[in-house]
Amino acid sequence: MKGFITLALVLASSLFSHISVAVEQAKEIFKQLAPSLYQIRLIDKASGEKSSIGSGFQISSNGIIATNYHVISGFANHPKKYRIEYLDHLGNKDELTLQSVDVINDLALVKRSTKVDMPFFKLTQQIPMKGQELFSLGNPHDLGMIVVPGTYNGLKKESFNDRIHFTGSVNSGMSGGPVVNVQNEVVGINVATSGNQIGFLVPHEKLVALYKSFQREPPSNIQQQMSEQLSQNQNKLINSLLNSPWKNKVLENAIIPAIDVSYIRCWGDSNADKTNALFFAAVANCSLDENTYLSSRFFTGSIEMEFRYMQAKELSTNKFYRLYEQQIQRAGPNNKAGKEDVSEYQCQHDIVMPSNREINNKSIFCTRGYKKFPQLFDVLFLSASIDKDKQALISHFTISGIEQSPALAFTRKFMESVAWK
Amino acid sequence: MEIIIEEISRDHKLISRHKINKNSIYLGRSYQNDIILPDPHICPEHLHLIFNGENWLIEDQGSINGSYLEDGKTSVRNHMINSGDIFSIGKSLIRIVYTDHPIEETIQLSTFESLINIMRHPLVLTFNIVLFAFVSGYIFYLNKLTETTFSQFLAPAIGMTLIFAIWPAIVALASHFNKHEARIMTQLGISFAFFNLLWISDILDNIINFNFSSSWPVSDLYSLIPMVLAFCLFWLNSSIGFHMGERRQLIVAAGITVLFFGGSYLVKITNKPEFSAMPNYNATIMPPNFMFLPSSDVDEFLLNSEKLFTKVEKEIAKEKKKEE
Repeated sequence: MKGFITLALVLASSLFSHISVAVEQAKEIFKQLAPSLYQIRLIDKASGEKSSIGSGFQISSNGIIATNYHVISGFANHPKKYRIEYLDHLGNKDELTLQSVDVINDLALVKRSTKVDMPFFKLTQQIPMKGQELFSLGNPHDLGMIVVPGTYNGLKKESFNDRIHFTGSVNSGMSGGPVVNVQNEVVGINVATSGNQIGFLVPHEKLVALYKSFQREPPSNIQQQMSEQLSQNQNKLINSLLNSPWKNKVLENAIIPAIDVSYIRCWGDSNADKTNALFFAAVANCSLDENTYLSSRFFTGSIEMEFRYMQAKELSTNKFYRLYEQQIQRAGPNNKAGKEDVSEYQCQHDIVMPSNREINNKSIFCTRGYKKFPQLFDVLFLSASIDKDKQALISHFTISGIEQSPALAFTRKFMESVAWK
Repeated sequence: MEIIIEEISRDHKLISRHKINKNSIYLGRSYQNDIILPDPHICPEHLHLIFNGENWLIEDQGSINGSYLEDGKTSVRNHMINSGDIFSIGKSLIRIVYTDHPIEETIQLSTFESLINIMRHPLVLTFNIVLFAFVSGYIFYLNKLTETTFSQFLAPAIGMTLIFAIWPAIVALASHFNKHEARIMTQLGISFAFFNLLWISDILDNIINFNFSSSWPVSDLYSLIPMVLAFCLFWLNSSIGFHMGERRQLIVAAGITVLFFGGSYLVKITNKPEFSAMPNYNATIMPPNFMFLPSSDVDEFLLNSEKLFTKVEKEIAKEKKKEE
């Protein structure tokens, strides 16, 4: 017993000493970097109060500050309603101007006015090693600037646009704050959290790219810039999907496509455990794990595919089809969007048999347009097999923020990849 | 000289008719009169009609409330009667006609009469009601997500039938209150026959929606059919229950139809949200043996999808214009 207690004491003391070293380090970092660290606030002009807060950090001597797009998205969408303000470590406040954004990587550049050259954060030249110690800085919940130590855990797997997996708590309000290595160089920007010590960072090279393009030629119109970024990213994504191998996957008696890319993740379920169900149903659902934030009520850039196989047990064909029909009545978009962002859906339907496949489907196609980004649409496709008395296959996808021709190309490939076994 | 005196209601419906072969006729509330009228606003000796060899004359006998030619202002004194004149005495109306007064032409029994009689036949009536109940029960069975026993869908079948029987009952009651024959069996027969026609039109509607692509506007046109059926039902209901002119009958039937469909349409537009994020599509599917049209190919489907993008763009442009 005594041995145990000693061991515990030794362990505890070593832990404490480790923590105290970290605290020392953190203190030092904070002292050096504090002048270049800001709280970014979005001020509602009418009420004069802040409507949202985040963090930001200076990256040039002439006053360019980096933050998250989602921190200042209110201003980007409604420049008349808000203004952007900074609060520095001494409590000084002043207005900021929006310079450039990267909606895909959730980054924004704002500028403060300065007459003298100011200290700023250096962006790292090298990618950190797995397990390397990092420090996340920011202002969580308006509690004041803090330093959170954590570890670099490589890039998040299965993501189309890279994100760093950071083990450490990133809290709301820390968004837009820098994450530095022990040399005080920025390796990433706080962007999101998955709860319990799992945080996500935008890699520093995205910020480097944004800053370089800004130095080359500042954007003349932020909306235009966003529009181009959205189109470019979605085209890249759809091209990558269309050019990747589409494998035939078996779902009970049906063949469905499985796109061989890491960033589309699939989940499955069935009602095999429910013995009193009138029909057997198995569902496979594949989706992109990320989307693009445009405003708190408007998201885009998502892709989702769903396949549902149904088989009647002891059920008349009429009743089976009635229940089957109920399954396809309420398909909806998988991205949030409101009246000011999108039009209402327009739909068309037909009975379609692909020439290369043995299946006859009732197919429905719906689309709605983006009001601020005229070339972009949300599309929804739903197909229900109608050629078997006691079996049914529903194939369905939704894509948000896509241009017309890639949308149609994807629809064609999707329609021609679903069949009976 | 023979004369006909009719007691009529305010809306000119006949209450009683007297044919009298005398040259002097007394009207009033007392029992000595030739025609005794019970209206308390009529005096015991109220009116006197005399035939002077050529014409009939009418004379108020100094009554308290007077006697007036229907729209007249002064009480009648030695007034010469024209055939068809209407006089108001007290709160009652009388109409006086001569034997040579023209009458309307004979109305032929309508062809519907035989149809109506078939529908009233107990066997046909029972068949229609049972068929209706069976279809209601069957639809309940189709929509139920769990196993159902026979007795489980008996209750909704009967319930549904009783609810739908309310309409013919109301019509019969209304015609009874209007002093017409109630003819409840006929109303039931006609109504249930039409309810069953509405079921059939529903099934046809499904088949059309299932088979035709959205580029054919057939389903929009088809939505007129239930309206036409409802109109026919209301027309027959009123023709059985109320004896009115053909034009009036048309107006009444059209009125109820408009009230019914217009009302539900109004409710639909008032409940419609300003913006709907959900797509509104037609997902009617039926078992394979209900399919009678050949399938389209992917190219055609994509071509139609392409048109949607243009439609959406136009919609947004229109909205922008409106905002400006």
